[in-house]
Order: sequence, then structure tokens, then C-alpha cells
Amino acid sequence: MLWLALHFPQLPIDRQGQGGADEPRAVVLHEGSRRRILACNAVAAAHGIRPGQALKNAYDMVPALITSDHDEQQQLAHLEQLTLWALHYSSLVSPEPPDTILLEIQASLTLFGGLEALLERVHDDVRQQQLALSTAIAPTPAAAMLFARAGVHRQLLDRQSLAETLASVPVGWLPLNDFTLKGLRQSGLQTVAELTALPAAALTRRFGSPCTDLLYKLDGRLPDPRTAYQPAEVFFSALDLPLEAPDTQALSFPLNRLMNALGGYLRSRDLGVRHLQLQLDHHRGPTTRVDLKFLDATANTRHLFRIASERLSNLVLDSPVIRLGLESTELADLQREGRDLFMKSQAGGSTIEQLMDRLSARLGREALYTPATGEDHRPEKAWLTALLDRQTPPGHWPARPLWLLREPIPLNQSVTLQTLPERIENGWWDDTDVRRDYFIATTADGAYYWVYRQRRTSDERLWLHGLFS
Amino acid sequence: MDSALDALLKSQPTLWRGSDRYNDDESVPTGFDALDKALPAQGWCIGGVTELLSRHQGIGELSLLLPALRRITGEGQWAAFINPPYIPYAPALGNACVRLDRLLIIDSGDDANTLWATEQVLRSGLFAGVVAWVNRSSAQQQRRLQLAAETGRTWATVYRPWHADKEHSPVAARLRLSLVEARLQLDIFKLRGGNPCTVCIEPSEFDASQGVEWPIPAKLPRPHPVSSPASKPAV
Repeated sequence: MLWLALHFPQLPIDRQGQGGADEPRAVVLHEGSRRRILACNAVAAAHGIRPGQALKNAYDMVPALITSDHDEQQQLAHLEQLTLWALHYSSLVSPEPPDTILLEIQASLTLFGGLEALLERVHDDVRQQQLALSTAIAPTPAAAMLFARAGVHRQLLDRQSLAETLASVPVGWLPLNDFTLKGLRQSGLQTVAELTALPAAALTRRFGSPCTDLLYKLDGRLPDPRTAYQPAEVFFSALDLPLEAPDTQALSFPLNRLMNALGGYLRSRDLGVRHLQLQLDHHRGPTTRVDLKFLDATANTRHLFRIASERLSNLVLDSPVIRLGLESTELADLQREGRDLFMKSQAGGSTIEQLMDRLSARLGREALYTPATGEDHRPEKAWLTALLDRQTPPGHWPARPLWLLREPIPLNQSVTLQTLPERIENGWWDDTDVRRDYFIATTADGAYYWVYRQRRTSDERLWLHGLFS
Repeated sequence: MDSALDALLKSQPTLWRGSDRYNDDESVPTGFDALDKALPAQGWCIGGVTELLSRHQGIGELSLLLPALRRITGEGQWAAFINPPYIPYAPALGNACVRLDRLLIIDSGDDANTLWATEQVLRSGLFAGVVAWVNRSSAQQQRRLQLAAETGRTWATVYRPWHADKEHSPVAARLRLSLVEARLQLDIFKLRGGNPCTVCIEPSEFDASQGVEWPIPAKLPRPHPVSSPASKPAV
């Protein structure tokens, strides 16, 4: 087993995105009546603000410091989104709250073309999400996490190098409680090597079994199973926006984060999405829901993101958005069968379904259809709109015009009737009662029209219903 | 390298070559001999925009494209109608043997959306034939369509209003369509790689393309001159 630990040291502050990145900002943690700095951005750090500092001292140093309260629930939600994203890279992913994720990557190395290639892709993804990242690789999960959290980028690929590196680790790094750490220091123990040199029984007696267990888990003598994160049946993820979004432009960054999570989710379940819903919550008023439907189930997050952005850009908001949610309302198996090699739709990289998704995102879903002939003889009923993959047997019709007017209009020019009437009637069983005599007529200009006269009425006018074109 | 490739291609005639289909076949036959002869590519130009300016509607301006549309949809390739002025009537298209499940209609609405959608569809290269109806477009917008058609190697036809012939348009071919003595006259007034000329199509030539017998005057059983709506017709 080989474990990759992804530690996000600045998660509480990075979560807020790049809005206001040029002002000193900090996230404050309440501990009873004490308030201290949990994390701060680069500007605040340049002014000397450090995590752990009392808020009062921080204000003394930087009076203009902008603070926000730490929201543990939101951070957990964010860690879960990152866990979903990490499913891109491994099927065994374990979130380690508050700010670390463990991935078992031995099985993924071949798939991603080696360790360096894998790490590069992980770093690219995280950079794109504008998060600080510290990584470490070790044969045991506890060691990987220890080095990642300590900010030492180690790639320890075997037990031997792990043992050697662990030996020199200062005891202060160990994730033990303050009381134990104090005891270790008072005993004059400096490094892990000095600890492991002690007899196990004596160690347990003096510092408790958690300390011994930790040492054994670090070097792999004690099994340390991690439970793989199990994605839910339905994808739903939401996030509170750190700054409310007055328009949909500002939703791009959070949308990208949710799409990353969705991508990992779909990958791990080997599914595509056919129907997505974006949910935009406001201070007041009902949630704005934007439905995205796809012709073909897709797991391509770039495509999904582009469609969602296109739809959002057409949306005019009545009030600012405070929370953005993404839900998969319909998942489906990915179409894996290859399309006809000889069809032109193989060219260009994107598929015809993706193009249609893009078109309908801007024009509306009703704007796209393929014509199909209906069974009924009445002209209004003899055209149907079908969408893709509906084979219509080519029925044969008497001469019919290429253009049909949506609504017949009274004809106001003189024409010459060129044919005997074709009588089209019935339809008494539904609303449209059609009793008409149709003619093909020519105009003085030589154009061919399809016209009709109502039967059994006093209305003798001719109505234009089609153009032969 | 090349010689090894050539040897392989010669020894294996069944090998499919990606370039065969479109490089050797730079045009879609129009289905009208006289027109094919007049066009430099011997058919509708693939990778370029053909502009059609029709004096009236209902004179056969769409029937002109039916043989080519029947051909490409019959091969299983896609065609698109973007912003058609009326409902493309399925029974008539079916009669003309155009495969309806390979014809995508896009009701794009205004010109801005029509131009956008046309460019997307042309650029994708996923459609073999694209027909768009545009009311107003600048020379620059026409150039974008021409470039998109070149990029996607697509046969593109754009219908524009009759009076647009006064405007400059950087497309591959421009045709004025009008009826002269019951024949459809194609006045090719701009042609890249060819000479402007005039071609006439007899109504009888459309018979084959429509898949039904056209009601041409000679075959008519009983013509009834009427004027509507004012006077009462004598039927």
C-alpha cells in the first residue's frame, strides 16, 4: 500500500476564494470566551499575524484586519467536496477532518502514468481551485499524514526509507495530546528514534497506549485500516458563498468547485449525468432552480461546466445568491459503444450530442427538433417534432408543400387554382374540426401556394397554409 | 516513412483512409446537371458558404437543395435548418426522401442567435450540410460564417433577402433566384474560382427531386382562374 496525504493548511481562509485577497483577512475560532486566529491570508501574514494568536493581539497589530468566524460545518462540507474530487485518483479515499485527505495510490500509479504524473495532475487541480496544498507519500497512512501536516514533502516509497526518516522526526510533531507531549519533553526524549528505543511495555506504562499504538502505526507494525469514502446514491453538494453574489458571473468559482466534486463522484461510480439541477438560494424568496438536461449521459466536467456557465450567464437574478447547490437528478450509464467510424460526427472531438447541449443551453430546449411525420392526415397533425433517434418510416404523401405556415392566413392576392380539390376532413374526435378543400395554386409571380377553403361554411375565402418553395 | 505508408496502402486496399471521403469529394452534387457544370467544384461547395437571394418565396428556392439534402442524409450524415421562416413540413420532406431523423431544425429566433448557432454548427464539423435563413448580417458576420464553413469542411447555404445583393459579402458563391417564364433562373453573380453565369432549371427537373409529380400546368386537369378573397371563385 502506498498512501498520499493531501493536507490543505489554509483551508479555512482559502475556502473564501480570492475575493478581497488584497486586504488582511483572518478566520477566528471561538474557544469558550477566548478567540484566536485560526488562519489568515498572505497579506495578514505579511503584517505578522500568525495562527494561534489571540484575536486581541492581532487587532493591536493590524487594526484593519477583516475577520470572519470559523464555520466548522462549512469546512466539513468543503472537505467532503474535496474527497469527492479525489475519487478521480483513487477508489480508496478517506477524509481526515479537519483539513486532510488520504488516498491509497498504489493501484492508480499505472493508470496515471507514474507517481510524478499523478502528483502533477493533483497539484494542477488544486491550484485551479486556489487552495494551498502540502503533500507527502508513505507506506502507512499515519506517516503520510504526519509529514503532510508537518509541511515536509517526503516521498517515502518503502518501509526501509520510512523507518530511517521517522527516526529523526522530533517528538513535538506527533499527533498526541498536550499532556503526553509535555511528559515526553520532560523525560528528555527528543526524537522518535529515542522513543522506539525504549521497551514497549515501559513506554505504554509511562505515556499510555495511544502513544505506543501511534508509533507502531507510523512504521506499519500495527495495522491502520482506513474506511473508504462511499459516495451517496444521489450527488448533492452545496456551499455558502463567502461573499454574496449579485450576479451569476460571481458564481463561476463556486460552480467550478462543485463540478470538480461531481466529476470525482461520477468517476467513482462509473456513471454519467443526464439531468442536473443548480440551486441558487437567496436571502428571501424561493430558491432559483436551473435544470440542465443532457442528451447523452456525460461525465465530462469541462462540458458540464461550460453548459452550466452558459445557462447561468443567461439568467437575470432578482436578488443576490448566498448559497449554490448542485444536485444530480438523473444519473445513467455512460454510453460506451463506439459510434460509426465513418460518420462525420467522429470528427472534431466533440459529439453531436454535446453540440446540441451547447445549442439548447442558449436557445432553449424546444428550439431543437427533428421533423417527423404523424399518422394523421390533417396538416396540423401531420408534422411532429421528434428529437433524435426516432426513426420514422417514410410514409408517402400526396403533393405537399415544403413550408407549412404555423397559422393559416387569409390569402389577399389573386391566385390560379391548379388542381382539383383534395378533401381533408375529420378530426371530430378531438378539438380541431377540420373540413377543408385543399388546392395547389399559382400566383402571378409563378410561386406555388398550398391553399384551402373551409367547407360547409359561408366563408368563401381562401386560406394560405403552405408554400411549395 | 512515406514510402512504407504508400506500400501499406497499396498492399491493403481495404484500409480505410480518413481523408478519402472529404478530400476527394470537395462538393455535394446539386442534382441538376446544368448547375453542376456551372459550379467550379461540380456541385455545392464543401467548406464554403453559398448565398441564395430569392426574389419571392414559393418559387422552388428550397427544392433546389433537396437532391443534395437527400444525398447527405441518405448517407447517414446530418443536415441542419437554422431559423427556417416556416415549419419545414415533414410529409413533403419525406416525399423528397430526405431522412427526417438526420435533419435537425434549430428555431434560433433572432439574427444574433441564428448567426451564433450557424457558426457553432459549421465550426463543429459534425454536420455535412447546413442551411440558414438570415435577415440582416454584416460583411464581417458573413466572413465569420465562411471561415467556420472552411474550418468544419461543411457545405453551407445561407438564404438572405433579395436586396442583400447590393451588399458586399466575402462568401464562396452568391446566387440570385427568380422565376422567368415558369423556369427557375439562377443568376450566379459571384463565384469563387469560376465565372459568373446564369443557369435555368425547368420545372420538370424538379419532379425527380420532389419525389412526387409536380402540378406543372401542362398536366393540370382543370385550371380555375380565381381571385381571392374579393370575388367568388367559380369551382
